[in-house]
Amino acid sequence: MSQPQIRIENVDKHYGAFHALKSVDLTIPKGGFVALVGPSGCGKSTLLRTIAGLEKISAGNMWIEDRLVNDLAPRHRDLAMVFQSYALYPHMNVRDNLTYALRLKGVSKAERAKRAQEVAETIGLENLLDRFPRALSGGQRQRVAMGRAIIRSPKAFLFDEPLSNLDAALRVRMRKEIRALHDRIGATSVYVTHDQIEAMTMADHVVVLRAGVIEQQGAPLELYERPANRFVAGFIGSPAMNFAPGVVAEDGSSVAALGATIATDVTMQPGQAVTVGLRPEHVSVVAPDAPGAVPTRIAAVEATGSSSYLFTENDPELVLVTNGTSALKAGENVGLAIPPDQVHLFDPDTQAALRQTG
Amino acid sequence: MGPLRSMRDGIGFDTLLIGFALLYLLAFAGLPLLYNVIISFQQVDVFSLGTLLHPGAGWDNYLSIFRDPLAQMVLWNTIIFTVGSVAFQFTIGFAFALFFHQKFPGATWFRGLFLAAWVMPGLVVGVLWNWLLSGDFGVINHVLLSMGLISEPIFWRSDIDVSLYSVILANIWYGMPFNMILLSVGLAAIPDDLYEAAALDGATAWQKFWTITLPMMRSTIGAVLALGVIFTLQQFDLFAAITSGGPAGSSTVAQYWSWQLSFREFDFGRGAVISVMMILVVLAVSLVYVRSTRAETRM
Ligand SMILES: Nc1ncnc2c1ncn2[C@@H]1O[C@H](COP(=O)(O)OP(=O)(O)OP(=O)(O)O)[C@@H](O)[C@H]1O
Ligand SMILES: [Mg+2]
Repeated sequence: MSQPQIRIENVDKHYGAFHALKSVDLTIPKGGFVALVGPSGCGKSTLLRTIAGLEKISAGNMWIEDRLVNDLAPRHRDLAMVFQSYALYPHMNVRDNLTYALRLKGVSKAERAKRAQEVAETIGLENLLDRFPRALSGGQRQRVAMGRAIIRSPKAFLFDEPLSNLDAALRVRMRKEIRALHDRIGATSVYVTHDQIEAMTMADHVVVLRAGVIEQQGAPLELYERPANRFVAGFIGSPAMNFAPGVVAEDGSSVAALGATIATDVTMQPGQAVTVGLRPEHVSVVAPDAPGAVPTRIAAVEATGSSSYLFTENDPELVLVTNGTSALKAGENVGLAIPPDQVHLFDPDTQAALRQTG
Repeated sequence: MGPLRSMRDGIGFDTLLIGFALLYLLAFAGLPLLYNVIISFQQVDVFSLGTLLHPGAGWDNYLSIFRDPLAQMVLWNTIIFTVGSVAFQFTIGFAFALFFHQKFPGATWFRGLFLAAWVMPGLVVGVLWNWLLSGDFGVINHVLLSMGLISEPIFWRSDIDVSLYSVILANIWYGMPFNMILLSVGLAAIPDDLYEAAALDGATAWQKFWTITLPMMRSTIGAVLALGVIFTLQQFDLFAAITSGGPAGSSTVAQYWSWQLSFREFDFGRGAVISVMMILVVLAVSLVYVRSTRAETRM
């Protein structure tokens, strides 16, 4: 990618005694789309707000286009933010909401009206320019919030869970629209979400946060294929990865787990305790006596139509996913085929990944 | 069937509650008001006071009030007192509301302390200001003198040029906390994220105030100003305690004059004329208040 648009080095944020961000390092390239994901309270919004300048960083450095911005007020940063609440100005109609920033800059009224018209056409609001926010649906408000951001051509867009108040279908559509818009106007975007699917589908760089710490960052598929630790492995992917305790067998390459021997493609210390991670979509159901298969029994089947979730009678219980409707019934004896190169292994103490892949 | 059913589905009960409230208003506000209007067209003196009906006077009472040499001064005094009190109560109250809206330790606590002034009875406040304003040993004169702003003490309460202003001063102090509290509530109702959005849009603190705070506060401001005018027109205790309307009527305002005419000179007809005219003013201001609060619920 090209030169960094936003650079964050060793940034800490304290709220009194509470340590909300811990030595965060992050580089956002010009034109990049970076997603910040993590469970509730992990510090996603805090990180975004420090970039915006709405929160002051306690330590570390932050640059926007080579300018050190540690103490720069939000209004001088030239960033646009789309809030989860949209934060539309209730006393202004859509046109005035869109052009508020231009008005502050002293752009003439005629020019503002022209720009509002252009932006409204880009995002499909042309018929709503005279409406007040209270007379808009959630989806329309969301669009106004987007329009208010893009009208300024800022150095970067900051999104804080902008889609979380929309229904599922609209969310999927807006996901694509936002990404398309990002590409079309060549924007730089930082996107906060707690929905890993949103992060994986929209971003080219995903940052996984937990308790103020960046657990891992990288391309979406890199996080999926090579999670750095058990937390990332469990957080990325849906349904979540299965975990089971195991011990490395005499041959150093297979693991005794789930009451069977599971082959892997790595070599480890025999007798070492490990945590085995299996993605639901990587385990397939075969005949109980198939060679190398882990014998088990189906405990329950849940069909969604497009796919089926199978729950097995292992300890701990495993979740598997198959396409379409499964013919399997609860109580049936089956075997589980586990490809050796799809077995994830973690250190049970440090939770770090043991597989040295990639 | 009928009443019982409507009682059960709640409509009857609602009507009953509203009925009580209306009845109360009619009996204790409506009738006195009406009687006041009637009296203003009658000849009432201390001897005929006890009877319900008095000889009619037509517009005589009104004409005599308009022709009274005091009338013009009282009108001016009332305007100066009302505008001066409300303007300063409001601006100082707004400034304090904005100040306490900044989040600093103890902000809500200090703001609460200000209410102490507001819960004091008017007569107590009046006595307090009598001491502060006293010509010989008052604190205010002492401060002004020692700062070199004046060379000899001002006799606040007995100087015809300043007596009205001494009451205005006390009234500003008395009414400011009420303005501050109502405006604080209005400020607190503006979501923080609007200010954050404005900050990112490039607004300075000053621009945020003019483009977000003020327009968002419009209905609150309307209500506060309207209530301020109404309360100021009701202010009586401070006059009674500080200047008694004097010297030579220099601090007499309409409500005080009305009281003087009725209860000092027992000229109830003319006293009623003044209160009828004040009712009209208050009615107009109340319309502003009702419209402001209605806009509030629509937001
Ligand atoms: N002003 C504040 N004062 C004290 N603690 C705060 C403040 N703002 C946030 N925090 C704490 O910092 C942590 C991170 O908060 P943040 O809002 O960044 O979480 P988040 O990842 O955005 O969560 P969510 O997905 O629920 O929005 C939380 O534990 C929160 O309680
Ligand atoms: Mg958040």
